[in-house]
Amino acid sequence: MSVRWFLATVLGLAAVVAGQGCRHGAPPDEGVVVVDFWNGFSGPDGAQMEKIVRRFNQEHEGRIRVNMQIIPWGTFYDKVTLGLAFGGAPEVFVIHVNRFPEYAHHGVLGNLDDLAKQGGLDGEDFVEAAWEAAHWEGTLRALPLDCHPLGLYYNLDLFEKAGIARPPQTYDEFMDAARKLTRDNDGDGRPEQWGFAFTWLHSNSLCFLNQFGTGLLDESLKSSGLDTPEATAAMERMLDIVRAGVAPPPEGQDAWLGFQTGKVAMALEGVYMMTSLVEQKGLRFAAAPVPQFGPRKAVWAGTHLLAMPEGLDQSRRHAAWTFMTYLSENSLGWAEGGQVPVRKSVLNSPGFQRLEVQAQFAKQLDHVVYEPRSIYSNLIATFGDSAFEAILNGIQPTEQALETAARRTDNRLRKR
Amino acid sequence: MTRGDGRAAFWFLLPYLTLFAVFLVGPLAYGFWISLHDWHVLGKEVPFVGFDNYAAALGDDLFHIALARTAYFVLLTVPAGNALSLLVAVGLNQRYRATTLFKVCFYVPVVLSIAVTAILWRWLLSSESGLINHYLGTRVQWLGSPTWAMPSLALMTLWWGLGGNMLVYLAALRNVPKEQLEAASLDGASPWRRFWAVTWPSIGPATLFCLIMSVIASSQVFGQTFILTNGGPADSTLTVVLYMYRQGFGMYQLGYASAVAYLLFFLVLALSAVQIRLMARTLKNR
Repeated sequence: MSVRWFLATVLGLAAVVAGQGCRHGAPPDEGVVVVDFWNGFSGPDGAQMEKIVRRFNQEHEGRIRVNMQIIPWGTFYDKVTLGLAFGGAPEVFVIHVNRFPEYAHHGVLGNLDDLAKQGGLDGEDFVEAAWEAAHWEGTLRALPLDCHPLGLYYNLDLFEKAGIARPPQTYDEFMDAARKLTRDNDGDGRPEQWGFAFTWLHSNSLCFLNQFGTGLLDESLKSSGLDTPEATAAMERMLDIVRAGVAPPPEGQDAWLGFQTGKVAMALEGVYMMTSLVEQKGLRFAAAPVPQFGPRKAVWAGTHLLAMPEGLDQSRRHAAWTFMTYLSENSLGWAEGGQVPVRKSVLNSPGFQRLEVQAQFAKQLDHVVYEPRSIYSNLIATFGDSAFEAILNGIQPTEQALETAARRTDNRLRKR
Repeated sequence: MTRGDGRAAFWFLLPYLTLFAVFLVGPLAYGFWISLHDWHVLGKEVPFVGFDNYAAALGDDLFHIALARTAYFVLLTVPAGNALSLLVAVGLNQRYRATTLFKVCFYVPVVLSIAVTAILWRWLLSSESGLINHYLGTRVQWLGSPTWAMPSLALMTLWWGLGGNMLVYLAALRNVPKEQLEAASLDGASPWRRFWAVTWPSIGPATLFCLIMSVIASSQVFGQTFILTNGGPADSTLTVVLYMYRQGFGMYQLGYASAVAYLLFFLVLALSAVQIRLMARTLKNR
């Protein structure tokens, strides 16, 4: 047998194998447009979302049917990205505001301008920061669903016991409260109860940086914001809290568990963590806006955006838009699961004002700060995170760690 | 061999060769092709950049850090792991009762996936409620301190991988010539001397095999650090494959990630070649 024959057989088989599984799916019922909807809401938020989707399907029976698929965030973007690149992407998917630039830049998100205009959506009813964040180079590429800023969670019982009447609003008030709330009962120099603890260093550090007027990138988005005096001051302020002995060094501490079990009196966490506290038996907690640690008001926040892929046919495109706007208009149900809506009409509704914790978080909406609008933000964030870890654990001096992160960031930005 | 034999052999080999071509040779070549491009998964164009990705990786201090951390992990796991496996194999090669039970016990962790192993060890290593700190009476941040994080991952890996090499050593120990061992003991050689003079030389090839395989496996360490520490604290467990993963799946920079993969491939290849050379020389000199 000739070599050519052999190769032809191998390649032929290869082509058969490779050709499988490109396109799938049976035709839907006559006249019903099927909308696949992917998100990563694998916690209690998923159950909340499922309720809304079920109601949508009932109200649109015979016209649109939404199939929701929950893919844990850990692999969510891999699936979405491969779907967008090689086909098989859903009609509607969720995307975090810090990942938005990457996808928008590559032109894979559908342009929603005409749909918004037809539907009379002009951004008037949206929180400004969220509405702006959904735009890329002047066009609307997504619809903001919510906003999840950090807030101050505090333990009501521990506050009462320490005789503190209201949550701290300034750095001085915060330190005063934290001192009163730190307790070393057996005198071994290791408190059994901490006034405060850093939980997620990423969001906590960025929040401090924002309050000192900087962030992972500077305002031009062309160079790092970490090799600045503001960044040093922000990290030093965080270190001061640890040095004062009112917060444990963050290494390896499961600080959130500490707050849940009453060993930590205050923590800065996202509104989405609320449900894990509600479920905690014996914990009385409340929330307040993040105290002002630095010279300006600012709070780290994220947002879930709803997007559709570029190039959908007209019927699916309209069905997807109908679903997206439905979610947006009905975001009160979504807020109940631990989110802040971004529709002013929902925010001002008595229904939302009744949600005590969420309403506290919502007070900060006019000074939320998102992560930099850079297509590299996902990688740059890892440079920052290493520096924050090194600084707060005392592995590296503040300026040295920040300079390293800044150099890596600038290298990445300059590459192209 | 007649011509007919060749044809029959071809048909028997075809299924394997097909899979080999489709799932190994093809992707390998394609991966190299990708590494020569600025290749974002979503990129409409993928410009050819030659060896720029390789140069960029070699010039990145984080890649250097990842190389150093990976080397540290290899040093922590390979010598100790092989010594332990051999020790356990020698122990189990005796005629005790219940050796099969022990063999199974030592081998069971190998069957576990790295995710299960890692989650198990997260509980053992937990600084607040972990068994290890509990029994030692310490409060060490095993995974939370840059000093201890990598040794902790290495310890876990030793436990996880012990059984695999143990089986190879056990098989090799079976093949140690009995008559030589008997002759040695008749000559009055101590067990220690018998091991070094008879057993050790005859299990040389098995040792070489185990060493090479564990260097390859340890150079590619990923699951441990991905699940338990995600490279932290402060990059102290950032390994080459995790670095590659962040580029490939964090940024979808497939060209760059492929270049890193090829750099690691060449490095491991060179390491294996050196090992084979060195070992072949020692084996020949006996």
